[in-house]
Amino acid sequence: MSKNRVSRRQFLNYTLTGVGGFMAAGMLMPMVRFAVDPVLKANAAGDFTATKLNVDKITKEPQRVDFTFEQKDAWYESEVTNTAWVYKNDEGKIVALSPVCKHLGCVVAWNTDKNNPNRFFCPCHFGLYEKDGMNVKGTPPLAPLDEYPYKVKDGILYLGKAKPRKEA
Amino acid sequence: MKWVPADIEMYLQAAEYVDTAIIPLLPIDLEDGMKDSATKTEFATLLSGFLERQFRGRVILMPGIPYQKGMEDNVLPQLEEWNKSLGKVSLRHVFFITSDLAWKQREDKIGGNLLWVPSLPLQQMDERSKTAALEDQAAQLMSLFAQKWEESDTV
Ligand code: FES
Repeated sequence: MSKNRVSRRQFLNYTLTGVGGFMAAGMLMPMVRFAVDPVLKANAAGDFTATKLNVDKITKEPQRVDFTFEQKDAWYESEVTNTAWVYKNDEGKIVALSPVCKHLGCVVAWNTDKNNPNRFFCPCHFGLYEKDGMNVKGTPPLAPLDEYPYKVKDGILYLGKAKPRKEA
Repeated sequence: MKWVPADIEMYLQAAEYVDTAIIPLLPIDLEDGMKDSATKTEFATLLSGFLERQFRGRVILMPGIPYQKGMEDNVLPQLEEWNKSLGKVSLRHVFFITSDLAWKQREDKIGGNLLWVPSLPLQQMDERSKTAALEDQAAQLMSLFAQKWEESDTV
């Protein structure tokens, strides 16, 4: 009659195996991620993304360019839109600046503060940057805006991953 | 900043620069208005997320507050509480963001700033017009934020 009953020991055995199984899975999952990650990185970060901008539409006045790409996060893919401020400097070279404020990461914009024309302005703590991205002394940011590496292919502007620049 | 450990770490180091909290108010209707309430919840969530990205250095986006439709009056005291507690840790601007009209009618009882934004039929839009529409709405809210900040900074 007691054949089908689960003894205390069996019960503990079952439950502990169960818990152990969970723990093993928890240890395994990160390892799977390590194995897969390099692949994800290769196509997410290494490449240049096409913008919609024709290079002969680039003027000396910074213009806002949005570009979208697929990003693979730990467990889902999503579309990410990045923004760049793009213009030609006095030497005619293309410059593409990241809009992310180097103070605490708000989004800066060109020429939006009446008292500071022709500068990038951060609305959060009134950070300022010159047109070339250099931070203005006396405002909170301590580093220049990051710059995107770029390529031109078939007249279209391609942007890479924004990189920090040396300080002024 | 969002309510995630990495951002909170940043907050703890830069708390004097962060004076604003955003709290989305998210309706859940279990009866006829199910889909409508989902639309409003989605919209307020997306909009709040967008604002967080623009202002991440001065703002903490809190997890949204869900509530059942019809229970708004029970939630009201909670909002006042939030307003008070956040004020105590120097988050002196509290913005409640919602698409639910029920809050517009209770605006004067909320204490914090209520930002009521009518939701758009995002479902019928493609990715591009969705972003454009959201940005449009967000731009108006952004100037409201800037205005509030300016008022308090010049005092
Ligand atoms: S985040 Fe730009 S000035 Fe503080």
